Amino acid sequence: MLDRRQLLTGAGVALAAGLGATSCAGSGPSGPRTVRYWGMGAADKDKDEAARDAFLATDAGAGAQVSIDQVPSSGSADMSQIITAVRGGTAPDVWWMDRFNAVQNASIGLLEPVDTLIEKFEDVSPEEFKSQWIQFAIDELTYDGKLYGLPTSTDARGLLFNENVLKDSGLDLDMFDPEQHVLTWDELRDAARQITHQDSRGNYDRLGFAPWADQGMPYTWAFGLDAQVYDNETGQVVLDSPQWKSVFDLYADWAEEFPYSRVDAFFATYQPPNAPPTQNAVFGEHLAITTGGPWQISGNKKYAPKLPLTWTWLPVAKDGDPTYTWSGGFSLVLPKGSNMSRTTWEFMKHFTGFAGQSIVVPKLGSLPTHLRAITEKKYDPDAELFRQMLPNSTSRPPIPAGSAASDTLDRAKTSVALGSKTPQQAIDENQSMVAPKMDLFPGYTMPDTYGKPQQIPDEDQ
Amino acid sequence: MSVTDTVGPPAGPASAVSAGVQTAAPPTRRSRGLNAGQRRKLRTGLLFISPWIIGVLVFIIYPVVYSIALSFTRYSGMEAPTWVGIQNYVTAFTDPLVGKAASNTLFYAIIAVPLGLIISLVLAIAMNQNVREVAWYRTIFYAPSLIPAFAMSFIFIVFLNPQFGVFNRVLNLFGGANVNLLGDPTGVKIAIILMAQLGAGNAALIFLAGLRNIPKTIYEAARVDGASPLRQFFSITFPLLSPVLLFNLITGISGSLQVFTEAFIVTNGTGDPDNGALFYMMYLYKNAFGFAELGYASALAVILFLVGLALALLVYWLSRRFVNYDVEAG
Repeated sequence: MLDRRQLLTGAGVALAAGLGATSCAGSGPSGPRTVRYWGMGAADKDKDEAARDAFLATDAGAGAQVSIDQVPSSGSADMSQIITAVRGGTAPDVWWMDRFNAVQNASIGLLEPVDTLIEKFEDVSPEEFKSQWIQFAIDELTYDGKLYGLPTSTDARGLLFNENVLKDSGLDLDMFDPEQHVLTWDELRDAARQITHQDSRGNYDRLGFAPWADQGMPYTWAFGLDAQVYDNETGQVVLDSPQWKSVFDLYADWAEEFPYSRVDAFFATYQPPNAPPTQNAVFGEHLAITTGGPWQISGNKKYAPKLPLTWTWLPVAKDGDPTYTWSGGFSLVLPKGSNMSRTTWEFMKHFTGFAGQSIVVPKLGSLPTHLRAITEKKYDPDAELFRQMLPNSTSRPPIPAGSAASDTLDRAKTSVALGSKTPQQAIDENQSMVAPKMDLFPGYTMPDTYGKPQQIPDEDQ
Repeated sequence: MSVTDTVGPPAGPASAVSAGVQTAAPPTRRSRGLNAGQRRKLRTGLLFISPWIIGVLVFIIYPVVYSIALSFTRYSGMEAPTWVGIQNYVTAFTDPLVGKAASNTLFYAIIAVPLGLIISLVLAIAMNQNVREVAWYRTIFYAPSLIPAFAMSFIFIVFLNPQFGVFNRVLNLFGGANVNLLGDPTGVKIAIILMAQLGAGNAALIFLAGLRNIPKTIYEAARVDGASPLRQFFSITFPLLSPVLLFNLITGISGSLQVFTEAFIVTNGTGDPDNGALFYMMYLYKNAFGFAELGYASALAVILFLVGLALALLVYWLSRRFVNYDVEAG
């Protein structure tokens, strides 16, 4: 039988062993030639590994050790895992992050700026170094004049349509040809009327279009209606502008003719939440037109190879208006606690540079942000229309309250479409929700280049 | 003789406590001081329960105190907290989404808690029947409680599917158009309330333990006096089960104030449609981990804690009128 001393000693040893094991858990190997990387997610593990292997085959990567962890998250805006890791001293050296969160994360001190690494390891000026990537992606990673990561992939938004359904409804396909025409909202509404069909019980069994579905978020239409979130000159949130009212008027107007509850029942029937990728209203030929992006192209080819699914521009207010879209995407960033070693920098630079993007971007079905990779068409040829959208595209506004603004706008979208709030009530509430959060950053300005068209070198140049 | 006379008038906790200490020696100055043997036993006892004590201190007391302190700061989780006084509380009381989330949670609690008590009591009575196959019944009634909340949520999504779900098939039989209950701000709350009832087996087990603690002799006496089963239920079962009812009521209220998982899964964390399923904990979570506003989220947590505490005290106060502690296992 154990005596008291033995018991206490044993308990002490067990406690010390437990604490030691806990402190070591998750931290992984460390050292100047080691890179701990939190990747894209379990589903995209192969892309991470391909990029890692390519790096290890380079001179800079020879002999380095890159460990990849796929850390699940409940959403791209959920920072609990990374904050916990940083606070616990087990942060990765490099983290694959939704670029949209960069400014917010930089503003709370979660990220390290990369400017010092550019100055330390590169032979060119930071401005010249940054000019390798498309400007809006660099803007989205810039906070308070400093760069907080390097961009990887990007995308754009357009209208996806099923030619079969359009033809069945007697519509002229030329109207949907991106080389011949850009649809106006009125034309899109007429087409939706012509396509939409309901059964004897009043359920929609075929739907033309719903502006709030899929990528039909307020931001998507805001860029076409010149609605801004933040005024750089006044330093004020302007979510209550007449332009934003136009965005929500659009939802309200559409929902008057195609009630939200019935459209919602349609989507819950043919494309329920969390359904497998094959259970899609477009693939089932129930939905004719929807808002999407290039990341869907590979799925379209995989799950509906025989369907004539094609893309066109987002609708404009009137004939001749300029086309518009917006681009999201990802980046590699350095969380606080990163070793910020030369190997880490080289890995990050290779992954986000021409070589890395040439490997990863086509697999992801997105577009590159690296200008040479764009010029040399390192993307799915079927995404060419989205590539053409890039010069006029921009990111969502890089502000520290970006998540709150996006969340608020999305909530307002449903409220207006359901009719529980008028567009005016919605924009007033949006303003009251987001403005106080931006008041915490007096004098904040987005990069001067934000929202401006950018030159992308042509492949022939 | 009335059955309630047998039980006697409701008495407070004090009577049960006094009954329990009848055989113990009255406290004296001498017995309060511990001799060496008692001190050794105390140390050994404390050592054995030290994992629990450490757990409570580290994982409950410290976070609660820390959260209260954080609620007076602006804190992102990264940089040092900045003192903002009661600003977070002022914001909470003017934030329209806090009001919406609180009203959704109240709606849920007002319906889900009484409904849950009734369902679990009925289940417990069914599980307490003196039939040979009662073990099977108990397993069947309890089994749904073992289904994880996320699995249950997916089952409900399919169940309520407008085209293929059983709910709409039944609706169609009566000529109704398909509805998406999860697409309606009130419907989604009702769906989540119904979902929660599948976990009634846990409360039913506690009721069952209470039911089996009621002396059979009381029922026998009641039957001799000609009391009907209904009269027996309201005059014996219900009063003698009241301490268990109080326990389930308080844990039910506490659980309903923290409703999160089902709503998070069903709405993909959005609380849609029209914030109809935006429950208090979801909004708190969003502020903490979506917007990195841990100070504000802490203030919301403190408010929730105080509301929960106030409701528990209210229930305790009201319980003096209906809770009966005079039962002893027979």
